[in-house]
Amino acid sequence: MREIKTVTILGANGAMGSGSAGVIAAFGGTKVYMLARDLEKATQGIEAAVGSVKTDSIRPRMLSGTYEADLEKAVSESDWVFELVAESYEVKEPINQRIAKARKPGTIVSTVSSGLSIARLAKAYDEDGQKHYYGTHFFNPPYKMILCELVTHSGNDPKVTKNLGSYLDKVLGRAVVYTNDTPAFAGNRIGFQLMNEVAQFAEKHAEEGGIALMDEILSGYTGRAMSPLATVDFVGLDVHKAIVDNIYANTKDEAHETFKLPDFMQKLIDENKLGMKSGQGLTKILKHGDGKREKFVYNSKTGNYDPYPKFDIPFIKQARSRIQDSNYRGAMEIVKAAQGLEADLARYFIGRYISYSLSIVGEVVETKEMADAAMGFGFNWVPASAFVDYLGGPKETISLLETSKLPIPSILTKAKPSKKFYELGNKLDARSLFKG
Amino acid sequence: MAEKVFVLGGEQTDFQRNWSKEGKSFLSMMREVMDDAVEKVGIDYQTIAKLNKENRVAVFVGNFDAEQYANQGHLGAFLTEVNPAFYGVPGARYEAACASGSVALDAAMTHIRAEDYDLAIVLGIEVMKTVSSNVGGDFLGTAAYYEKEAKGVQFPFPKLFGKLADVILERYDITEDRFMDALAEISRINYANAKRNPKSQTRSWFMNKEHAVARGGANNMAVGGRLCITDCSQVTDGAAVTFLASKDFAKDFSKKHNKDIDDIPRIKGWGHRVAPITFDAKKEESKGQKYILPWTRQTVKDAYDRADLDMKDIDVFETHDCFTSSEYAAISAFGITDPGKEHEAIEAGTIDFHGKKPINPSGGLIGVGHPVGASGVRMMLDLHKQVTGDAGDYQVKGAKNGLMLNIGGSATTNMVFILGR
Repeated sequence: MREIKTVTILGANGAMGSGSAGVIAAFGGTKVYMLARDLEKATQGIEAAVGSVKTDSIRPRMLSGTYEADLEKAVSESDWVFELVAESYEVKEPINQRIAKARKPGTIVSTVSSGLSIARLAKAYDEDGQKHYYGTHFFNPPYKMILCELVTHSGNDPKVTKNLGSYLDKVLGRAVVYTNDTPAFAGNRIGFQLMNEVAQFAEKHAEEGGIALMDEILSGYTGRAMSPLATVDFVGLDVHKAIVDNIYANTKDEAHETFKLPDFMQKLIDENKLGMKSGQGLTKILKHGDGKREKFVYNSKTGNYDPYPKFDIPFIKQARSRIQDSNYRGAMEIVKAAQGLEADLARYFIGRYISYSLSIVGEVVETKEMADAAMGFGFNWVPASAFVDYLGGPKETISLLETSKLPIPSILTKAKPSKKFYELGNKLDARSLFKG
Repeated sequence: MAEKVFVLGGEQTDFQRNWSKEGKSFLSMMREVMDDAVEKVGIDYQTIAKLNKENRVAVFVGNFDAEQYANQGHLGAFLTEVNPAFYGVPGARYEAACASGSVALDAAMTHIRAEDYDLAIVLGIEVMKTVSSNVGGDFLGTAAYYEKEAKGVQFPFPKLFGKLADVILERYDITEDRFMDALAEISRINYANAKRNPKSQTRSWFMNKEHAVARGGANNMAVGGRLCITDCSQVTDGAAVTFLASKDFAKDFSKKHNKDIDDIPRIKGWGHRVAPITFDAKKEESKGQKYILPWTRQTVKDAYDRADLDMKDIDVFETHDCFTSSEYAAISAFGITDPGKEHEAIEAGTIDFHGKKPINPSGGLIGVGHPVGASGVRMMLDLHKQVTGDAGDYQVKGAKNGLMLNIGGSATTNMVFILGR
């Protein structure tokens, strides 16, 4: 692989484009061509990049330009072309044609796509271009979320892959997860499985508390900074739909039906209630004249927004209190022993998350450590393997999965009981992801 | 001295963690770091319980200001909440501002030397992210003479160490540009070193020389005279533990762990001096002297004398870089250069990770982070890692002797330990 000194960013004004450019210019010390539809947007991208890494030192190395006027020149001078334009073949393929014509042999070209087929996108290139074409899936915001899924396809050269992985890791400080070219790759496949199935259950349990109840059941004590449906609101319902539709259409695994978008979410999308970016979605926040903020939650039965309820679920309180004391095993003992619908749901989804995370090993990633890193670094969720240890080990976890009628991944049945199941402890302290 | 107090190792928390955001407290931190330390060192709670019954173990807790940060005093008694093995254990909390960890180490060492106990467990701890940086800055002001130096002052400590930078420029023959460049290089080195340390707070942060040297503006604000954000250590939640032991205990320990007693590091020397508390008094006292911080220099000399060692014998330093100006002054205090010539060592790469006298391979307070009451203990832990070859990616090759300087206030309390094999 050629030393990376000059990089072109396509889609420089978007959050991912500017954020990734900031990381590359700063940590990589490279010159960066910031290309957008017009110069004003490109310049905004540069300022956003400076703001994301909070250093003026990169500004002199960032040059603004437009697709129309500057793409060929920038690409021909670049060692890496990072494309972050809109997520569709219709937009990406014509741009790829132009990059393919302008690139020098040996130039890396990659896309940030979170769902499109990398092999299909690579087809725009000649043999050398295909060899150097990758998915480099950064997460938002790139400076804070250090995960990068490095997506390969059959046309890649393992030597180049290794060198690029090492550059992303050692120079840009990314936590690199190598994934195959499968729908949504690792992090989103696992993460959106849980988020969508939780949304399905919110619809099913609308009478018992719906969205707010499900988010309470899967709140911080289950090892995440943000509850699943709050995360959907954060990323946007339209983005959520694009990801789960893609997985639903192009995979057929044990969790197939859980990727079907719930009807109420389609309805919200149709009404342009897309989440935080459009002011309302699964939740809505009203700011009153006196500055007070009031939170509401969507009721999928009535189609109205109700005041966001407070819950008092004793086992969750007890589990939280044990986490506050750093007694993580003890917290899981509470979850395992609790009675009632809420506890059943908590066990089901903890089990589902572990079961599904480990099930993609082999198909999407080589090792469970890769799945663990994807969730820990990309979502701030306690990795599945760490959960297995807190539940008391593989045997205990298997019995929890059996009770919830979930598939048992073979990695679990083959695991040695005496060893710690989680092996990323020296890189990611999973305890930090449980919220008390 | 050299054959009295042995250091068996320990553990620290991941300084990147924000325990308030996790919904956890100083006590959860104590539990986790203690559990991790007993596992890492290989002394279980049963052994501690047995030693406790025989009155052969004591605990020493270094903490600066849990009263304000966590509304809790009396931390010396809190190991009993970690494990019943500590019921009845002799224990107290030790405080000397940012040198709290070191005065806990000093008390532990003294009891071992006096043959009171066979094992001394030293735990340094601070939670700081419970309050905003403004409020925290005011709490830290109590490490100065609050009434005279900190009351009503926003961020008093950067200002005090900014004054140190001013005095360096006044007294020594160095241009401002060259001096500020040297300070920026100190910052760059500490951040770069921290990248190799898997427990450092800033390991995923961006820093380079260009950024450190570009002072002023929204992305590198001035906080104390000439000093800007890149010249400062961090606000950190964190704890560290080290186990000190008598020779007899260390002998048994090494046998149990298939080691030679010669492989267990020992405290070879120490120094402890308190300078006048206000910075102005320090400045006044040192007028006409070679060193601006003569008591810091004297503390280092005391440690060298007690250890019968000199600068040339020290392979690695951990210093108190609460600000770049304090690390700058430490270079001559260690004897690496004459006072006034510190920049030459910086420019020559002497204190860099691959240099002849590496300072802060861990990343120091700027890179690892600075949980105030824990820093002294963390430094001792890092010296232990270095001289036992256990520092992983930030190992200084072949380190045999290490020296740590931990200061409290504006270089008021000075504590030095030399650890070696």
